[in-house]
Amino acid sequence: MDFTGIVVVAGNYGSGKTETAINLAAACRKTGMAVNIADLDLVNPYFRTREARIPLEALGIKVILPDRQYHFADLPILSPAVADILRQQSDLTILDAGGDDVGVTVLAALASVLKDKSVRMLQVINVFRPFTNDVAGCIKIQQEIEASAKLHITGLVSNANLLDETTPEHIYRGYDLVQKVAAQTGLPVEFITAGQKVLPLLDMHRFSCPVLPIDRKLLPPWKRI
Amino acid sequence: MAKVLMKGNEAIGEAAIRAGCKNYFAYPITPQSEVAEYLVKRLPEEGGVFLQGESEVAVGYMIFGAAGAGERVMTTSSSPGISLMSEALSYIAAAQCPAVFVNIVRGGPGLGGILPSQGDYFQATKGGGHGDYHLLVMAPDGVQEAVEMTMLAFTLAEKYRGPVMIMGDGLIGQMMEPVEFPDDLKTEPTNKDDWATNGMDTRKSKKRNLVKSLFLDPAALNDNNLALKAKYEQMKKEEVRFELYNSDTDYQVLITSYGTMSRVCRTAIDMLKEEGIEVAMLRPKTLFPFPEKAVFDAAAKDSCKAVISIEMSMGQMVEDVERCVKGQRPVEFYGECGGDIPSPEKIIDIIKGLL
Repeated sequence: MDFTGIVVVAGNYGSGKTETAINLAAACRKTGMAVNIADLDLVNPYFRTREARIPLEALGIKVILPDRQYHFADLPILSPAVADILRQQSDLTILDAGGDDVGVTVLAALASVLKDKSVRMLQVINVFRPFTNDVAGCIKIQQEIEASAKLHITGLVSNANLLDETTPEHIYRGYDLVQKVAAQTGLPVEFITAGQKVLPLLDMHRFSCPVLPIDRKLLPPWKRI
Repeated sequence: MAKVLMKGNEAIGEAAIRAGCKNYFAYPITPQSEVAEYLVKRLPEEGGVFLQGESEVAVGYMIFGAAGAGERVMTTSSSPGISLMSEALSYIAAAQCPAVFVNIVRGGPGLGGILPSQGDYFQATKGGGHGDYHLLVMAPDGVQEAVEMTMLAFTLAEKYRGPVMIMGDGLIGQMMEPVEFPDDLKTEPTNKDDWATNGMDTRKSKKRNLVKSLFLDPAALNDNNLALKAKYEQMKKEEVRFELYNSDTDYQVLITSYGTMSRVCRTAIDMLKEEGIEVAMLRPKTLFPFPEKAVFDAAAKDSCKAVISIEMSMGQMVEDVERCVKGQRPVEFYGECGGDIPSPEKIIDIIKGLL
């Protein structure tokens, strides 16, 4: 995986954008890059990047969140710090957007800052989520996101999973779907994801793209892994 | 059907569709707005209707209207929204109309916060609205159970011709879990021609049906209340649902807990077991009717020294637990209700304090 500059992680609601963004940030940081990550999810009040702040900061990743007083608000507040880090030089800045077209509307507000920069926008797809279980569904969401974000999606990510119940077959099914979306849209499959449990069971020769290991950070309070 | 990964809120929406619900009226509020977002996409595909009311007060009466016409109907909201619907809930109960209400509870009182809570136990089980009525209340502990209970809610609403509530908390609504949908439940209500205002032409009848909650004649009002009471007594006999966990051991402590909180307690029980400490849990699945006898019996076990109700509230279900334990064991309480869910480690500390 070769990510530099600004990378927006988008996708339909609940596709696993945040887990993908967090783990991508961690993986890139471990190669020695300077990494920033900003929580742009103004849509969903639960399970956001802000909940993974402590482990990310422990890795030396700069985490940009809304002001603490708004941490638990369901208000569309965009921290001015986001525009600041986009102006600053860093190896990699990941923007974790909210779900669907509504979730990326915020990017249009950053258009003036983004306009002269090279921006990549990834569409995260989980074949086991409603509305993205076929090519047509994925392309529909893609068009809605692009129209709303005023940016083009530049690559695809398969995040096929059923959480703890994920098997290699699930990963293969997700991979096959994004390959079909790629064939139809001309977009590259940037990488696929796989949880730590299923990772050793995978036949890596089946994939022609990198596999990002997912170490789940957003767990319900009763889970002890 | 193969498993899919869904949020509780989305799964409740899909479950309603599979139960044959074609009418969904709601007003957005965190943390349940995904039900509306999901159904606004899915219902039109099924020939159904989603209407956003101008407020929860309006929505409550839209539900009453559709239910009175014999339509399968649901609304979803969160705590302050349910408060606004409570007048309509009382009317719907009095007029004996089947309807499904979902409360994805957030912190209160007042506007409170948007994080999970179980602070609406009293509201759900002891009224909310005025008068002598009850809701049949079910509390899922995860996404799969939210689906099953939502589908069952339509069946029970029609069986008892009254409002049924699904009481989840914000986490049940927001979390994602793999879920499998049972076969569709698309039976027509069996006896609606006897009471619903579904049109004399539709039912080819010359008899007018009247749906109302006003009974000015004291004897008629008393009769209506007796009819409602008979239903609640039947629910107590036929609809009590609960789950016992680790109860085949010589447990020293019995936990009573439901919903999200019971998931944390389950982990705590597993961790305590590794230390050689046996603790059991009784998880009510129906909050009304409450598993009265099961609580009494589980507390009565010789090895059991104490009962503790663990809730995301300041102490609500514990009153029912105390009532059912009937003084045979001390009944303790632990609760938090700011939105942070107590950790398994916290529960372990509390339990050890009882030993």
